[in-house]
Amino acid sequence: MIHWNKKILVAGLLALTITVRADDAMDAATKARIDAFEKGPATIDVSKYPQGIQDNYAIFSQKCTQCHKLSRPINSDYALPDEWSRYVKRMMRKPGSGIDSSDGKKIYEFLTYDSSVRKKALLDDKLAKLTPEEKAADEAKIKEVHDKYDGK
Amino acid sequence: MKASDENNSSPKPAAEPTASGGSVPIWIFILTLVLLFFGAVYFDRHSGWFDKQIYTPFQSANELALYQPKSGEAAMIAHGKAVYESVCGTCHGSDGLGKPDQVPPLAGSEWVSKDIPSLVRVPQLGLNGPIKVAGKDWNLAMAPMGAGLSDADLASVLTYIRQSWGNRSSTVSADDVKAARTAISGNAPSAEDLAKMTPVERGHALFQKYGCFQCHGQDGKGGVTNTNAKTAEQVPSLIYVADGYTKDELIAFVSRGERVIPRMNPNGPEPPHFMPKWGPIINTNELSNIADFLFSLKPKGSDVGF
Repeated sequence: MIHWNKKILVAGLLALTITVRADDAMDAATKARIDAFEKGPATIDVSKYPQGIQDNYAIFSQKCTQCHKLSRPINSDYALPDEWSRYVKRMMRKPGSGIDSSDGKKIYEFLTYDSSVRKKALLDDKLAKLTPEEKAADEAKIKEVHDKYDGK
Repeated sequence: MKASDENNSSPKPAAEPTASGGSVPIWIFILTLVLLFFGAVYFDRHSGWFDKQIYTPFQSANELALYQPKSGEAAMIAHGKAVYESVCGTCHGSDGLGKPDQVPPLAGSEWVSKDIPSLVRVPQLGLNGPIKVAGKDWNLAMAPMGAGLSDADLASVLTYIRQSWGNRSSTVSADDVKAARTAISGNAPSAEDLAKMTPVERGHALFQKYGCFQCHGQDGKGGVTNTNAKTAEQVPSLIYVADGYTKDELIAFVSRGERVIPRMNPNGPEPPHFMPKWGPIINTNELSNIADFLFSLKPKGSDVGF
């Protein structure tokens, strides 16, 4: 009987540990969001994008998969230049990321460009919720990237 | 003739009647085993194992103990154990043995049985750098996990660790902790001083108070090793958080902490340092000031152009 009790105890503790761990690592909502993102496609068809953006896609694929699946950013609900700028810098500033500021900028430009094409509906939705100043600033940043790469 | 008659011609007696060959049905065995099983479980849970002190409605010695009024030292130790399990036990272990090469033991540690002011310093200020514990050299950092505990809670925890796992030292009272804390914070800013400061200055004082520097370095410049952490085996520096977080995101991250640190080598050891969950310890206004301070750390001219 002692043995039987131990088994229940071990199973219980295990379940508890797993729950506590998941809870501690990040809140459940964030974890569920990330899991959902990672289940989506892990590549983007960039064949119709300008050559410069295709080159940046290669850097994005190589650098970002050092730490997480590429499907995470590809399917994430970030779309605004402001969001991408912040998240790319957050990742880039981690010690040992191996992403210098010139790579970081290329990754940011790729994500901003890609969001303005592939995530157009989400982007417009997000832009509509901003204050007029924020909206103008983000639109200027999108235009900047398109002006730099389109038709080249 | 007669003898031979007796030997050879008498008829054999009929064989004794025997029961026909049916065996006991298997379901009776199974039912018996099941009943025995549940009987034994019931016995285990309800009998108190023949302890003469346990009778209905109490079912075990633990349950009986639960209903005993607790006072004085026993109550303090019970409370200290609860606080220990939630604050210290994650690293130092329920058995007080720590983790090999990652967390020093408390069982048999001379620091635990030392004078009370020296002992209070550890959870109050954290630790960083070489230290000898129970004959072994360690060189790690510990966040000041006790800085947010009340005098009474910290006193209970310290009493608990001083009297568990073979440690046999005196109890620690809330007044002892209060006195030790007063001595430690001799040159820390008073509440009035804090009120006069700008949010950034106040955030700096709180960065010191909660010992963030023990792991993130003086003024958040980094430099503390975190073996096998994916972040180049370092606790991250904080000088660029202004680039990567909004204020709300930063406050949410500090409140939540990060218990599981990604490993550089997936098969290597767990990195010894992790970000504690500060939400229950640091209040919202203080967190806001700390975020203001961290945002002020960004070096001038470090904009990256996107």
